[in-house]
Amino acid sequence: MTRLGDLSAVRFWLPAAAALVALLTAAVAFGAVPLSPHAVWRAVLGAGDETTVAIVRSLRMPRAALAALVGAALGMSGAALQGSLRNALAEPYLLGVSGGAAVGAVSAVALGVAGAAAVPVAAFAGAAVAVGVVLLVARAARGRADPRVLLMAGVIVGAFANAAIMVALADAPPNTTRGALWWMMGSVAGADWPRVAWLALYLAVGGGALVLWARDIDVLSLGEEPAAALGVHVERASRRVYLAASLLAAATVAAAGLVGFVGLVVPHIARGAGLRGHRAVLLGAALCGAALLVGADLAARVLRAPAELPLGAVTALVGVPFFLVQLRRASA
Amino acid sequence: MADGGADCGAFRRLGHLPSGSGARLRLLVLSAARRSVALPLVASLVALGSMVAAGCTRESAGGGPGLAAVDDFGDTVVVGRTPRRIVSLNPATTEMLFALGAGARLVGRTHWDVYPDSARLVPDLGNGLQPNVEAVLATRPDLVVLYASEDNRAAARRFRAAGVGTVALKVDSIAEFRRAVLLLGQLVGDTARARTVADSVARTLAAVRAATAGLPRVSVFWHVWDAPLLTIGAGSYLNELVEIAGGRNVYRDLPSPSPQITLEDVVRRDPDVILAGPEGARRIQTDPAWRSLAAVRAGRVRLVDTAIVGRPSVRLGEAAVSLARLLHPGAVELRP
Repeated sequence: MTRLGDLSAVRFWLPAAAALVALLTAAVAFGAVPLSPHAVWRAVLGAGDETTVAIVRSLRMPRAALAALVGAALGMSGAALQGSLRNALAEPYLLGVSGGAAVGAVSAVALGVAGAAAVPVAAFAGAAVAVGVVLLVARAARGRADPRVLLMAGVIVGAFANAAIMVALADAPPNTTRGALWWMMGSVAGADWPRVAWLALYLAVGGGALVLWARDIDVLSLGEEPAAALGVHVERASRRVYLAASLLAAATVAAAGLVGFVGLVVPHIARGAGLRGHRAVLLGAALCGAALLVGADLAARVLRAPAELPLGAVTALVGVPFFLVQLRRASA
Repeated sequence: MADGGADCGAFRRLGHLPSGSGARLRLLVLSAARRSVALPLVASLVALGSMVAAGCTRESAGGGPGLAAVDDFGDTVVVGRTPRRIVSLNPATTEMLFALGAGARLVGRTHWDVYPDSARLVPDLGNGLQPNVEAVLATRPDLVVLYASEDNRAAARRFRAAGVGTVALKVDSIAEFRRAVLLLGQLVGDTARARTVADSVARTLAAVRAATAGLPRVSVFWHVWDAPLLTIGAGSYLNELVEIAGGRNVYRDLPSPSPQITLEDVVRRDPDVILAGPEGARRIQTDPAWRSLAAVRAGRVRLVDTAIVGRPSVRLGEAAVSLARLLHPGAVELRP
């Protein structure tokens, strides 16, 4: 491994930031209604006719912002899970954490406690249970170090979560079912500013905590024994990292449904670009995840207009081939 | 398929009946001369074992209305004995059966059948798609009416295999409503009443169409569902009703009955009026994103009575009247 030091600015931070800015600009500039760049710019500043201002400020901007935050949260969650579990294939969706969060969110809505603030809390409870079960199962199989056992446990918990949701939907009216399936494929179409604000809050708490504990993740990524030898309380440190990662995943599920594979892909991009140390990897994954998801949502909006593709389907189309390559590398 | 016996052997002659999927419903009035042979044959397609043999003898001996029909799955339906225990797994056909005076013969309905009020007294057999076959058979029906959706094809086959008369009907348009109500009239043995129901709906629709004919068309966006955003397309009877009521659906170019679209695309199509149910209307009026629509800012969001317009059935005329009142207030004075 080469230490790139300052070169990472050239190799990663500048291009990633430029990509995010370019994609955010494109997301605000393009849509079903053709608008000139000048009109868009004026609308961003609040000038122009009411329709244009509403399109830009109430439709496109919150949507782009929500996509960026969801991507950032998933990227950080994936980076934290991959580091602390020493598993290059870990990510909230594949570990069943998102599925657990979905069960929590659906239960909250079914029990009538819906709301931008409450659903993430229920989703977090579901995610925490899911991550706990996955780790218990993996440990019982003495496989926490074996990427395959952990993932299998995750996939199984995810399947169980899916089944629970299907049972809940068995007697629902057709449009409710259609809505729920759409949500389970992920979408930021319902974005509004309150939702953006809530997700930003959860991202600040969960992401901030992870950045604060980045040193712990560095040490955990060396393995349990070396970590203990370095004076880290392995149990406590890993538990709080899992919880923070679950909180981030749960908040994205509450805001935008199930979006898979972003958490898998972007930490690899960050590390592949030469970022070392989890503080940099976490922040890099956040930046990269934001750019990836803004781009994916733009694709979801324009590829089949006036219909929309499910966001999770777009990210899966990118993520699954990537996953297979990683799987081959991990088992080699 | 059961052995139909010698006098049923000629069922091969019916091989020319359309059997492909999506075949248009076709009534075949068999001539009196062929009746005694052909009807038992048809019966053999839907019945099993001794039932077939018995049916053959009884029908050929007793005569009765000599009718067979092909339903929307391309299967032959026997119209012979008047059914006494009917299961209707589509709210639209349940409404029709009540209007035909056969409501008291219903022994099963879907979870969503709420009109007329007495429909609620009929046992609830689930949501109507991919029905629980055993639960339906447990009501000992002699006729099952299904919605002709691919989800129901396997169940229809099972009902037939169990010897229960089964008819799958696609009821998605005004024309299909008329066909369905006339066929059900024949099945339950009251063709005159079926014609009265069908004609009275047709007359009301014609009256609304005439009343709005000279009025300028109002472009309409129909909000069906919020997440994902669903509207009505050309494949929906609501699209026809909007047209009759003097409107023009901004999504009439999309063939699906309930296409998924994006809010910004609605803005691009700039409808004059938004139609929505109570929940949708509340959302539209409170979410700032919907203010990107000129119609919303101008307060042209109209509340649709979802109970009346919800089904392509006997209240189609009433639905057209209510829509015409929403689209052209004051201009249409019709009694539902």
